[in-house]
Amino acid sequence: MRNMVSDAPRTTLTAFYWAFILYLLLPLTLMMAMSFKDANFVAFPIGDWTLDWYAKVMQDKQFLEACLYSIMIAAGSTLAATTLGTWIAMLIVADGIRGRTIIFALACLPAVVPGMISAISLRIFISTIDMPTGTMAIILGHTVHAVPFVVVMALTRLRSMPGNLVDAARDLGADGIVAFFRVTLPYLGPALFGGMIFCVLLSIDDFVRTFFLGGYRPTLPMLIFAKVQGGMSPEINAMATIVLVVTAAVGLYAEFITRRARTR
Amino acid sequence: MEPVVQFENINKSYGKHVAVDNLNLSIEAGKFVTLLGPSGCGKSTSLRMLGGFETPTSGRIMLSGKDVTRVPPNKRNVNIVFQDYALFPHMSVAKNIAFGLELKGFDNQRIHRRVSELLELVQLQDYANRLPAELSGGQRQRVALMRALAPDPDVLLLDEPLSALDAKLRQQMQIELKAIQEKTGKTFMFVTHDQEEALTMSDTIVVMNKGRIEQMGDPNTLYGRPGSVFVANFIGETNLLRSTVISSKGDVAALNWNGITITANPGGLDPRHGEHLYVVLRPEAIHCSAAEPVLGNRIKGKIRQRVFKGNHTSLMVEVAGGAMLNTLVHPSDVAQLSSEDIWLGWKPETTTVIPDRHAQN
Amino acid sequence: MVNSNTLAGDAAGRGAPIPKYSTGIAQIVNSALYRHTLGAAVESRIGRILLLAGVPVIWLIMLHVGPIYQMLKISLLSHYPIQPGVESHFTLANYAIFFRESLYFTPLIKSFVFATAATAVTLVVVYPVAYYVAKIVKPEGRSKALLLLLVPFWAGELIRTFSVIMLLANRGAVNVLLREIGLIDRPIPMLYTSFSLGFGLVYLICLYMLLPLYSAIEKIPSQYLDAAADLGAGPFTRFRRIILPLSKDGIVSGCSLVFLTCIGVFATPMLLGGPNTVLFPETISGFFHGASDKWPVGAAFALIMLVTALITAGIFMRLVGGKKGSAF
Repeated sequence: MRNMVSDAPRTTLTAFYWAFILYLLLPLTLMMAMSFKDANFVAFPIGDWTLDWYAKVMQDKQFLEACLYSIMIAAGSTLAATTLGTWIAMLIVADGIRGRTIIFALACLPAVVPGMISAISLRIFISTIDMPTGTMAIILGHTVHAVPFVVVMALTRLRSMPGNLVDAARDLGADGIVAFFRVTLPYLGPALFGGMIFCVLLSIDDFVRTFFLGGYRPTLPMLIFAKVQGGMSPEINAMATIVLVVTAAVGLYAEFITRRARTR
Repeated sequence: MEPVVQFENINKSYGKHVAVDNLNLSIEAGKFVTLLGPSGCGKSTSLRMLGGFETPTSGRIMLSGKDVTRVPPNKRNVNIVFQDYALFPHMSVAKNIAFGLELKGFDNQRIHRRVSELLELVQLQDYANRLPAELSGGQRQRVALMRALAPDPDVLLLDEPLSALDAKLRQQMQIELKAIQEKTGKTFMFVTHDQEEALTMSDTIVVMNKGRIEQMGDPNTLYGRPGSVFVANFIGETNLLRSTVISSKGDVAALNWNGITITANPGGLDPRHGEHLYVVLRPEAIHCSAAEPVLGNRIKGKIRQRVFKGNHTSLMVEVAGGAMLNTLVHPSDVAQLSSEDIWLGWKPETTTVIPDRHAQN
Repeated sequence: MVNSNTLAGDAAGRGAPIPKYSTGIAQIVNSALYRHTLGAAVESRIGRILLLAGVPVIWLIMLHVGPIYQMLKISLLSHYPIQPGVESHFTLANYAIFFRESLYFTPLIKSFVFATAATAVTLVVVYPVAYYVAKIVKPEGRSKALLLLLVPFWAGELIRTFSVIMLLANRGAVNVLLREIGLIDRPIPMLYTSFSLGFGLVYLICLYMLLPLYSAIEKIPSQYLDAAADLGAGPFTRFRRIILPLSKDGIVSGCSLVFLTCIGVFATPMLLGGPNTVLFPETISGFFHGASDKWPVGAAFALIMLVTALITAGIFMRLVGGKKGSAF
């Protein structure tokens, strides 16, 4: 970039960027550091270091169960949201569909409804259809939350798809269903994969919907919330660190995969 | 022999816009037929109707003796080579070609044999495992062609498949396409707006304009004996001389063009005195010389512009009355024409006469 | 390509394994079961429409509109869940309660103040960052610069909130540091105040602002800036006259997204706020726990919040005058 922006704003902005990065990473770093503190209470300075808290967390049955439960819910809601989101996107781009804008607006609705209200309305909804709180209700709630994101990601990819591909498949003897599974879906592949990872992270991260829709079995965020309210301990830090590292690794991996697919 | 394809009174309109207007067309098996016309003339719509992607507003399409007017694309035995090839980006070359074969229910062995055979036909054996993105434009073109040929369609439809290629490659592919058509003996229905493509490859050219067929015939006839002003203008470069009939008898008509008397063969029109006609005079039919020609029509003119075009030079010559004639001179002859004043001459039999429709009504 | 797996070439010679072309789809499509069910359905126009639109339309109506609709319905009832022996009837009383008691009124105001302030602060802080990544960082480095900003995003809402506690607690990093350098004798109480809540909210949502801003700024052709500089515009003029107007869309969608997210945050105020910072979501939540017969009031309050929040975002979009559209 050889433009005529003078150096002073550039240096300021660079400094600002790094300060911002520091702001973003500092609390998380402190939180991770605290998980190695060899003491029963959370306070700086850290003093002695230990790995005991990790050992404790790994033996904590409650934590492991919450992990499994969260993963199960994430898998269920991701699968449902990916299917539904793709289906809705296919409907939106289909030829000769009236009310495209309305369908799109409805599909995006859960994304503009604030989380708390979404949770309340879902709580009321499941009670009106006599669905008990618990696993199914949480999965349903997380699916509603994730569908708009899948729709938008799938739409973006579908709009970049050459219109002739499906025609070509039909021409070669595929009916609409075969053309979808053999041509459209593979074309969507990388975008959907990125979307799925996003759904998983969204679900594992979600607190408010789970809080209102869940039963007595805690998911990860609920467990951490309960522990934080119950009193600070480096054990929570260890727990949070494990969750953070794993989700960040998954996110990074997804980022890598979608980026590679995009450059192909 | 029964035609492979028959369009019977086909109409297609979108709201008020009429895309195809009462089209009647039969295509014989094994022929290379080109639908030629400017964009919006209805040629692509006709092709898509035959492919099954559009349904005619009225009329009937017969394919190998069966009515396919309302049969969906996947159930009719025609295949299309799309304008931008539409190769499946996630499948290898071989898998692209195999796509239609698998859906026909062929077993793996048979698919493999057919794929290999087709790849061999276009010498792409070594590219079987490549993805379309890893091929050149010409190679993609060939793969698209083989993919469409693979299921052995009754007719192969080609929707301006060469328009994405550069000029040189396009010429090469024209020859190759024609060769493949001859080798396979398939009926090709080719759609283009490029008259040169049409002339090079076709057995029959169907010139379309505003949803109707203007003229249909082999390339020679269309070029040499255009039936309408539109066809004369659309195919090749032309001088159109709007003339008035002085007298006409049998094969010879005396005409007045811009105050100059010329003769032409009225070709069975039997025009009356005072009627208007167009004389189609191709640039290459005009002979330019420094001295006055002895026979045929001759006009004196002044060279106004010389355009060097490599294998020939194009001269714009102003003749009496201020009209311009476009002529074509070989490089070897250009040297003789150093002076601006030249003679133009042509034999009456090299021209064609077209009635002036507007004047007649 | 000579040494790679030359499929068709090898196959000309004997013994080469035949690659697998069949995916099994032909068998499925040609099976009687398929042909008489799905295969037949896609052949007809009605069948195609049902296959394509059936599930999506049902889902959208049932689960995207349904919950909001049920919430509206229940907010107009006198009792819900309906107890045996109690008659439920239509009423507007649940809405009236809101306007009668400042106990309910104040949290909503506070929610709006916090959300608006957090949105404004986020915009001011994140804009230079987005600009830096979009226009100053070289194209090759952009994705890395973005990725670094996205890392905290992968930690969830709760973990990010929790990490703020590490920073602001009485024996947290800031207080300990200040005491070490001798600026203070006793810790400044930062946690469980408006400050910690505001700080936490900004920390939580700043990335929702980043992406819309980034994509809007990135789209501005750099030549515009060069041209403006060439015509004698200084950095400030260039920013005010070119970059700001052209990134309006990003500002609008970023602000709406941040504002609507902020309004609905539930866990963060409960962890970082104190008794003086009870926000509206917590108020609403109270109606759904324990005294379950207050559901209609909770529903009414949730609707009041939804409507006011959407109207605020709508007014903002109008005022700034960007493209009307979704929050993406």
